[in-house]
This record gives sequence, structure tokens and C-alpha cells, in this order.
Amino acid sequence: MLQSRFDRLSERLLTAGIVPRHVRRYCRELGDHFDDLVREEKAGGATRELAETRALARLGKDDTLADAMLSRPELRSFMARYPWAVFGLGPIALLALSVMGGLYLEFWLLNHSGGIFRLWTGQGPGPVNAKLATEVYTVYNTLIVYGGPLLFAWALYWLGSRQRIPMAWTITGVAIVCVLGGFQDIIFYDTGCRGCGHLIVHSDLVPPFQHFAQHLTRAALNLAIAGGVWWFKVKRRTSHALALSRAA
Amino acid sequence: MPNPSFMNGVPELLVLRTLEAKEMYGYELVQAIRARTNQAITLGEGVVYPALHALEAVGMLKSRRKLVNGRTRVYYALTKKGEKHLAGLVRHWQHITDAIGLAIGGTAHAAIAL
Repeated sequence: MLQSRFDRLSERLLTAGIVPRHVRRYCRELGDHFDDLVREEKAGGATRELAETRALARLGKDDTLADAMLSRPELRSFMARYPWAVFGLGPIALLALSVMGGLYLEFWLLNHSGGIFRLWTGQGPGPVNAKLATEVYTVYNTLIVYGGPLLFAWALYWLGSRQRIPMAWTITGVAIVCVLGGFQDIIFYDTGCRGCGHLIVHSDLVPPFQHFAQHLTRAALNLAIAGGVWWFKVKRRTSHALALSRAA
Repeated sequence: MPNPSFMNGVPELLVLRTLEAKEMYGYELVQAIRARTNQAITLGEGVVYPALHALEAVGMLKSRRKLVNGRTRVYYALTKKGEKHLAGLVRHWQHITDAIGLAIGGTAHAAIAL
């Protein structure tokens, strides 16, 4: 009974935007406090049943316990206070950071590849090794371009569901990251000279829209994958809840 | 003392004042407050935790987990910032109790001695 009471309290606090860390600790502390109160009441001569009833009364009513937490704005999460920043601007910032991070690393590698290769093998890089390096860059860029948006979509979904953020915000964030991510590209060209090449970053959402249809397909694919995973998770959660209610 | 609006700020004062002497966990703290106020102020015991969390969030308290008799307890202690805030709260409440002392016809002699 106590556990289900704390589960309800926990859900109510999370939905209201209280930081999950505080919610978990609050419920754990209330549970410990309840045990201490029962022990105290029993030591005073009460039966187990009476001790538990008195302990619950001393702990406070559900509404009182929830209101005490909800009246503290400092315990509300950043995400609950500013969902537009996390799910509106967050995806744009994440994609920009992932591209910039990828570029920075590749710049650094391009500038130091000769030295690193020499340190590793004791000789300078030849044309065969330059070809290998180009392939490595291509794989790395593909991971950023194709994997990044889906990874960020999953992160936004996870954060949103963990903090019980309204579904509309989570869907907005996931959609932005899938669409913008679908239109971005990072391409590396080997120019033939040692230790150099061309790195190109662009989004087909701005002119000249050279491969618009291809990028649109990729954005749609991102949305389909994210939507599919979402649908699967919701279906699994629903069947789990059904099984629990049947068992109860 | 069931007067919610008048009680604004009282839990913080009681919590900080009680933790001034030594670190405590929630249940221990509630019992200490009951004892120090001669049970004149009885709060729903569970509501002490949001006050503790909030005070910790603004840096007036710090917490640590400690294993006592096979159970992990969260102990709370006052920080330097909390000590300063407590001094301000005590002055504020001293002023109020003095004013009330005067208003009810006595002299301004009440002191906060929790």
C-alpha cells in the first residue's frame, strides 16, 4: 500500500516537473521516515497495524506531501521550466555541436596525420595510406551525418519520458532533429597532396538545393525510424501495463 | 500552530537552527525540532524533506549518505552560506517577536532560543 502511495506521489511530482533525483530521494526518505515512525509507535506499545496508521498520519496526507514539494520552484528541472529551450533550440545546438566537433577533430587529424603516421610507423604516409585515411574520414562523417540525428532523437525521447514532459514538446524536438539532421552533410575530398584535403559542410535547407530530394528522403527515413522505435516502446509499455493490471 | 501564512519561513528557520549544532537525518531532525519547541510547532513530518532539498539546492545545506545500523541515511549539515542566512533569519524573527511582544502589551523581550 505504501509503495503504491509513493508511486502515485512520484508520478505526480515528475509530471509537475520536479527533478527526478529529488523525487527518488524524497520517496526513499519518506519510506525510511515511515519505518522509523512505526518503530517509535511500536516501542510506545502500539500494535503493528495501529503503529502503521499513526505513522501514516504523522507523515502527512498525499496532497500535503506533494504540495510541500511543488511549492519549491528551485526543485523544478530546467527542462520543465524551459521546454522550448531544450526541445526547440536544443536539437539545433546539438546538431551544430556534433558537426563542429566532427570538423574540429578532422582538421586536427589532417594537420597532424603525417606526424602521427611517422610516429606510428617510422616513415612518411604514401598514396595508399592517404586513400585509407580518406575512407576513414568518410566512415566517420557518415556516422555523424546518419547516426547523430537518430542518437539525439533517442536522447530527447529518453529525457522527455524520464521527466514526464508533455508529449508535444518531445515530438517537436525529435522532429526538428530528424529533419535538420536529414538535410546536413559533411564530405571530405582528398586533393592528392600530402596531409591536406577538402572538408565540406552544408545543409540542403539553404540554396542551391542541389540534392534536395535525396536529403528529403533521408529526413523522412529519420522520422520513420524514430517513429517506429517510439511506436514499439509505447506498444511494449502498454502490453506491460496490461499484464500488470491482469496480474493484480 | 495551524496558521500556514504566518508560518512562512518558519520551517527554514527551525531546520537551519537545529542543524547548526550537528548534522542530522530527517527523522532525527523532526524529533529534535519537536523537542526544542516543546511540541508547540508540529509540522506534517514528511514536509521537512522538501525544505531540506530546497535549502540544499540553494547551497545552504550539504548532504551525505551514511551507513548507520545497516541502513543508509541522508545526513544534512549547515554550510557557511547557511550559517549567514540563519543569522539573517534570526534577526528578522527577533524583530517580529519583539513587535508582537509590544503589540500584545508586554515589552520587547522575547528571544529566539530554540
